[in-house]
Amino acid sequence: MSRTTQAPKGLRATGNFIDDRFHVAKSGEKNLRKVFPNHWSFMLGEIALYSFIILLLTGVFLTLWFKPSMTEVVYDGSYERLQGVVMSEAYASTLHIDFDVRGGFLVRQIHHWAALIFVASLVAHMLRVFFTGAFRKPREINWLIGIAIFVLAILEGLFGYSLPDDLPSGMGIRILQGVMLSLPVIGTYVSMFLFGGEFPGEDIIPRLYMLHILLIPGILLALIVAHFMILWHQKHTQYPGRGRTEKKVVGVPMFPAFAVKAGGFFFFVFAVTVAFSAFVQINPIHLFGPFSPTSITSGLQPDWYMGFMEGALRIFPNWFDFTIFGYAVPTGVLVPALVIPGILFTGLAVWPFLEAWITGDKRHHNVADRPRNAPVRTGVGMAGITFYGLLWMAGSNDILSETFSLNLYGTTWFFRFAIFIGPVLAFVITKRICLGLQRRDRATLAHGYESGTIQQLPSGEYIEVHKESPDEMVHVLRSKEPLDRTDTEDVDENGVEAPSARGLRGRLRTALAHWYTKDNVSFEGVEPHSGHHGQHEEIAPEQAETATR
Amino acid sequence: MTRNGETVKWITARRRHPLAGYVVVILALAFFGVGYAYVAPGADRAEAQTLATEATGDDQTDVARGREIFVRSCASCHGPSGEGTGNGPDITDVGGAAIDFQVSTGRMPSTNPDAQMPRKASMYTQEEIYDLVAYYEEEIGEGPEVPLDVPGSAPERSNFADEEAYEAAKAEYEEAYEAYVSGADDVEVGMELYLTNCAHCHSWSGSGGALTDGKWAPELDDASPRQIYEAMITGPGQMPAFNDMIIQPDEKQELIAYVKDLQNEPDAGGIFNLNRIGQVAEGFIGWTVGLSLIVACAIWITAKQRAHD
Repeated sequence: MSRTTQAPKGLRATGNFIDDRFHVAKSGEKNLRKVFPNHWSFMLGEIALYSFIILLLTGVFLTLWFKPSMTEVVYDGSYERLQGVVMSEAYASTLHIDFDVRGGFLVRQIHHWAALIFVASLVAHMLRVFFTGAFRKPREINWLIGIAIFVLAILEGLFGYSLPDDLPSGMGIRILQGVMLSLPVIGTYVSMFLFGGEFPGEDIIPRLYMLHILLIPGILLALIVAHFMILWHQKHTQYPGRGRTEKKVVGVPMFPAFAVKAGGFFFFVFAVTVAFSAFVQINPIHLFGPFSPTSITSGLQPDWYMGFMEGALRIFPNWFDFTIFGYAVPTGVLVPALVIPGILFTGLAVWPFLEAWITGDKRHHNVADRPRNAPVRTGVGMAGITFYGLLWMAGSNDILSETFSLNLYGTTWFFRFAIFIGPVLAFVITKRICLGLQRRDRATLAHGYESGTIQQLPSGEYIEVHKESPDEMVHVLRSKEPLDRTDTEDVDENGVEAPSARGLRGRLRTALAHWYTKDNVSFEGVEPHSGHHGQHEEIAPEQAETATR
Repeated sequence: MTRNGETVKWITARRRHPLAGYVVVILALAFFGVGYAYVAPGADRAEAQTLATEATGDDQTDVARGREIFVRSCASCHGPSGEGTGNGPDITDVGGAAIDFQVSTGRMPSTNPDAQMPRKASMYTQEEIYDLVAYYEEEIGEGPEVPLDVPGSAPERSNFADEEAYEAAKAEYEEAYEAYVSGADDVEVGMELYLTNCAHCHSWSGSGGALTDGKWAPELDDASPRQIYEAMITGPGQMPAFNDMIIQPDEKQELIAYVKDLQNEPDAGGIFNLNRIGQVAEGFIGWTVGLSLIVACAIWITAKQRAHD
């Protein structure tokens, strides 16, 4: 550069002072110029981050007035309808925030809406990572951290929901206690320890409060920081395209372009949350009234992220409850409340390792898979979404039943069957769609894209003119990698099984590998634009190589 | 209108416009929506029927007219002396309160004896119902009586000959209603009773809920204090009865006042209350509107990109 730009003297002196001591200029510049791939789906995680920041800010505001105490008081605040009612101090102080603190009602609603959007964006972000295979080596650890954040966020939401000691929060805590009691042997002890005696007792609100404002947010914050540092170090994955390789990230630099966008995006997330909070009523605790152990109501649900557990509880039958040595084992609570979420979260956590073990793929992956190019994974993902979604719907079956005039027991039975059939159907349909898209990709790669122009040949035949695809599209189409075939590699030239393919574990792995890779549309040998116009021979949906065993 | 030198019709020039499809869909929806509203039977027809039998105006009940109504609308299912038939239950012990409840909420006469009836406009005026109740109590059976000191349904304009009489009746009714609801001064008693005995079917907000076997607990928004009272003492449908020994009249007053106050309570949290459905609606809106808006913004800001990154 011939032209030197000098910073103003004041800034320069300060900058030099800091740089002389911390040497930040070099690493600062490197980090400021870090590249971010430009795609909207990479912003989903940022929605979660921004909602979390909103939650921290509004949460601090709420702690200034909230009193986590079960001490009984007679309400005499400015909400007239409940004046003279005996209630816990927690509930009374929440009413105080709503009606006597300036802006308190709005901030409480922002806190609640931001919580819903926080968990929703976590799920959306996680699905993006799953379907593009961005959890693969080297990012497995960050995937695990993400799962931990997801689980903690759900717990954090549950505890926050329970704090105001209004009608739904009391019912939520009651269900939580029921789940604890269902634990064999230790159930009653766990419940007694947490509640400091019988339900509801005096201790539960202060204890949940400590967990909600200190312990869990602390861990969440630490995990989010770790998540970001690992991301920063490993860099984003990127979608396939021209110039984008496993070794090179293409995108906009952090500073100034991306920083401006991200900053603006924060304000947009904030604006949407505040607009919701200003206009849409959420969790009207003043209408619900305080909780008392005799109160019970229909038409109340947990917040959406607990919905799938609620649904599991609602549809799981009590046929398997049994009693052993005089101790009841209520599997009708134990399985849906602990085993099913356990399976779901464990499944999410082990998937990257399971997939790597099945495929034997130990390579680094920085270019994202297009979901269609991993049909089994995409199918499994859709099956998982269907499973989760059906449970979630089952959790609101009374609302569905009332809103759409359905038979309540009918919905229970529908979900009992659908929970098994739905995921299988979703898997099969998704996989077929993926394979169909792969075939179309191969045709597009070989023949170019359909131009929409119809030509008549001298013989009278009509054909559609295919044009050469743009370079970018060819890059995207060719990003499909040949699938690794662990099962075929496991036999050497003499037909002797490799040691890794022997035994129960080896056979299981071979079978899984066959399942994972058998339906694959091979792109091998397909050259871009190698097909000729008019020669429209159907490319047989040949399978990669049939397993030779 | 000309195109390529040719004169084309107005419609031909526009039918391939990018927005044409939307316009057609909107027009079709509007056509069917308005058409259905016009064709479908509504409350108007029921009102026309009540108009035919105008209120007599005197306070004396007319047993003969009650008999006429009974024979015409009740006897075919409940039998000529109310002992019940294959289509309808024995009503000799349900009491006048049940008659008033069922007929004034429009559930009786029923159009389908096998299904739970939804609330609809009543076939008969309050005077006619009184006549029916008088006939019932004289000839058919006995049981809980109509709680006349609890305010019933608001007067309807169509039952009055002139505006003044209607206004006077309305003012009188509103005064009685206010006196009844504000006569209850212990919110806590009403709330405890409601949340302990009623909310598990009718829900915390009184907006109703699903019951077993395709039945449902109706919403209480339109129910008059008297109808709620009658429902408690007679236990219609799946509902258990709460007689005046179990929940005393003044406690019932507290309970009714609690529900009515709650329903008239403005939604302090914002102009959209999501029908007070609660968490299901909140989650649904959070995902469909909230997250969609934010993602749309993400798509927008990442779509704008310089040619050389």
